[in-house]
Amino acid sequence: MAESVITVRKLVKRYGDLIAVDGIDFDVMSGEVFSMLGPNGAGKTTTVEIVECLKSKTSGEVKVLGFDIDDKAREVKKRIGVLPQDFNAFDLLTVKENIEYFGGMFHEHLPADELIALVDLEDKRDEYFKNLSGGLKQRVGVAISMVNDPDIVFLDEPTTGLDPKARREVWEVIKGLKAKGKTVILTTHYMEEAEVLSDRVAIIDGGRFIATGTPGDIIREHGSGDIIVVRGGGMEAYTKLQGISSQVERKGNDVVVRVDRKQVLPEVVMQLERSGTYYEEMQLRRSTLEDVFLSLTGKRLGDGGEVE
Amino acid sequence: MAMGRRIRINFIAQAKMFFRSPGSVFWTVAFPVLLILLFGAIFSNTGSATYTIYVQDLDHSASSQELLQGFNDTKMLNVVMVDPSIEPDAYIKDNSIYAFLIIPEGFETALKEKQSVALELRIDNSSSSALTVQSIVNSMVQSLNLALADGTMVVSTNVQGVSADSQFNYIDFFLPGVIGLTAMTTTVNWMVGLQTRYRQNGIFKKLATTPITQMEWLTSLVLWQILTVFLSVAIIMVVGILAFDVHLRLDAISISIIVLTSALFSALGLIIARFVKEEETGGVAAGAITFPMMFLAGSFFPLESMPEYLQAIAKLMPLTYVNNGLRDAMIYGNTSGAVYNLLIVAMLTVVFMVVGVAISTWKQD
Repeated sequence: MAESVITVRKLVKRYGDLIAVDGIDFDVMSGEVFSMLGPNGAGKTTTVEIVECLKSKTSGEVKVLGFDIDDKAREVKKRIGVLPQDFNAFDLLTVKENIEYFGGMFHEHLPADELIALVDLEDKRDEYFKNLSGGLKQRVGVAISMVNDPDIVFLDEPTTGLDPKARREVWEVIKGLKAKGKTVILTTHYMEEAEVLSDRVAIIDGGRFIATGTPGDIIREHGSGDIIVVRGGGMEAYTKLQGISSQVERKGNDVVVRVDRKQVLPEVVMQLERSGTYYEEMQLRRSTLEDVFLSLTGKRLGDGGEVE
Repeated sequence: MAMGRRIRINFIAQAKMFFRSPGSVFWTVAFPVLLILLFGAIFSNTGSATYTIYVQDLDHSASSQELLQGFNDTKMLNVVMVDPSIEPDAYIKDNSIYAFLIIPEGFETALKEKQSVALELRIDNSSSSALTVQSIVNSMVQSLNLALADGTMVVSTNVQGVSADSQFNYIDFFLPGVIGLTAMTTTVNWMVGLQTRYRQNGIFKKLATTPITQMEWLTSLVLWQILTVFLSVAIIMVVGILAFDVHLRLDAISISIIVLTSALFSALGLIIARFVKEEETGGVAAGAITFPMMFLAGSFFPLESMPEYLQAIAKLMPLTYVNNGLRDAMIYGNTSGAVYNLLIVAMLTVVFMVVGVAISTWKQD
């Protein structure tokens, strides 16, 4: 069992009457990618910024690598790497100069060229930061978060505002961090991002964690489950599939079968083939984190992180 | 060691960014140069006639000609003759004339017979030039009277510059003002701009995740500002010497004042930046504080020429002591005055720095 590198207990952050973080508890294990998924204003950034020693907390206990953030912030800062939300570096310094600048702030730091290779920016080494696209800027940000060879890396909405291609490129970089054995804490409002990258996900809404676990576990536990859709099967298919699962429904000319056991899928296929029942096509629809979010909060998460 | 390294790294980074930004270089160099050239051109009199007096000579005699020749010889009056047939009142109005002299008929006769005779001088009281013309005319008349009475000049005024070296003129007075002004505006604007920009675009948040402290950050910025100010000072001196042949001393006291001034106004910029949220507002706030100070602290004109209540306000302006100290050191050679002002500036610097550092923090609420 991996050890816990971040321990958060009863964390609360209040701004006057507004409660941004409402008593959160969680542990992050060494070497895992832990994501906080939720809409804007859910408390993701506030939570990670408290752990990063950027913001003060109202109450609760936070330990990072065994150091209490209240009195050992300097020790914590030395050992973590941070890509803040809306990251910016110095416009008129080059990629390499920026990395060297932030490296120089730490007593020990990795060579700039090694970090440039890590985020695959060799051909932009001498480009001014201001001339880079959003995706490239974020990759510089990831490189800078790694300058002190940290044990834990915080990436706060690393792909917000990027186009799908740039987003995938940043994902590759994040996968590279995990491969190097780093613990990664990621915040995002992109379901797919959390599902693709994370070992564990915490769904956060209104300053509380409403579900935590591996994406698979969460979907199994809170999702509506997988379904098989038999398109164009009509009444005949509906009759043939009766009793095969706890839930078989007709929706227009389609038949929808709930997958409540592992064997439902092969049984449906065999039953239809054996009886020679006509149908146009068969689809397996997996439940996603999006469904989970919808069923847990009653809200749909938009592309910009707003709730719909 | 670690502290020194972080200060050095940030200092070098700021220097690189400064020279890569044509705008900031332009302002550091061009602003003071423009000021000197402009004010130098306005105020450096080259001795040519500057005031115009219109004269209607109704006497048209040798004596009246002699008087006019006297006016010309002052090299301060430009005499324009007006035809005797012209009606003065309408003429003055139509041509916006501020000084109009009428030499009455019988002027020469009166002089010869030592009878009293009056020159008629019409002036526009709202014009300061008219007052100068009046005093020149008066002094000419005075000497004419003396000559007629066969009097000997017993008392005379021998005008001399009050500066240690009589070669000093307005531009010499003005140059230390430009140095103080430039030190103030460049540092305040730069600091406010930089602090608000970095806070807004997230660089502060990133810096907050590194071990650099506020103290190290601010120290490196202040050191860099001292260097830019000296860059400006060097340019001001070179332009002043080449264009106007100024005579200024840059001694230990004036250099100390310039160093402290840079630190003082950097700290002021820091304090302003703490209270404004956006870069745009920051520029306005910086202007709102530096602009009045420019005029009220005696940068352009001697404080003594201002009304008393403004002089009282000037005493509250840090820039006043900078200007006074620089002038004492650079022009008048008044060491005790310079040291007195230096001490005030040093005290203000300490106060502003302490307040600036105390209210600055990386950590957010």
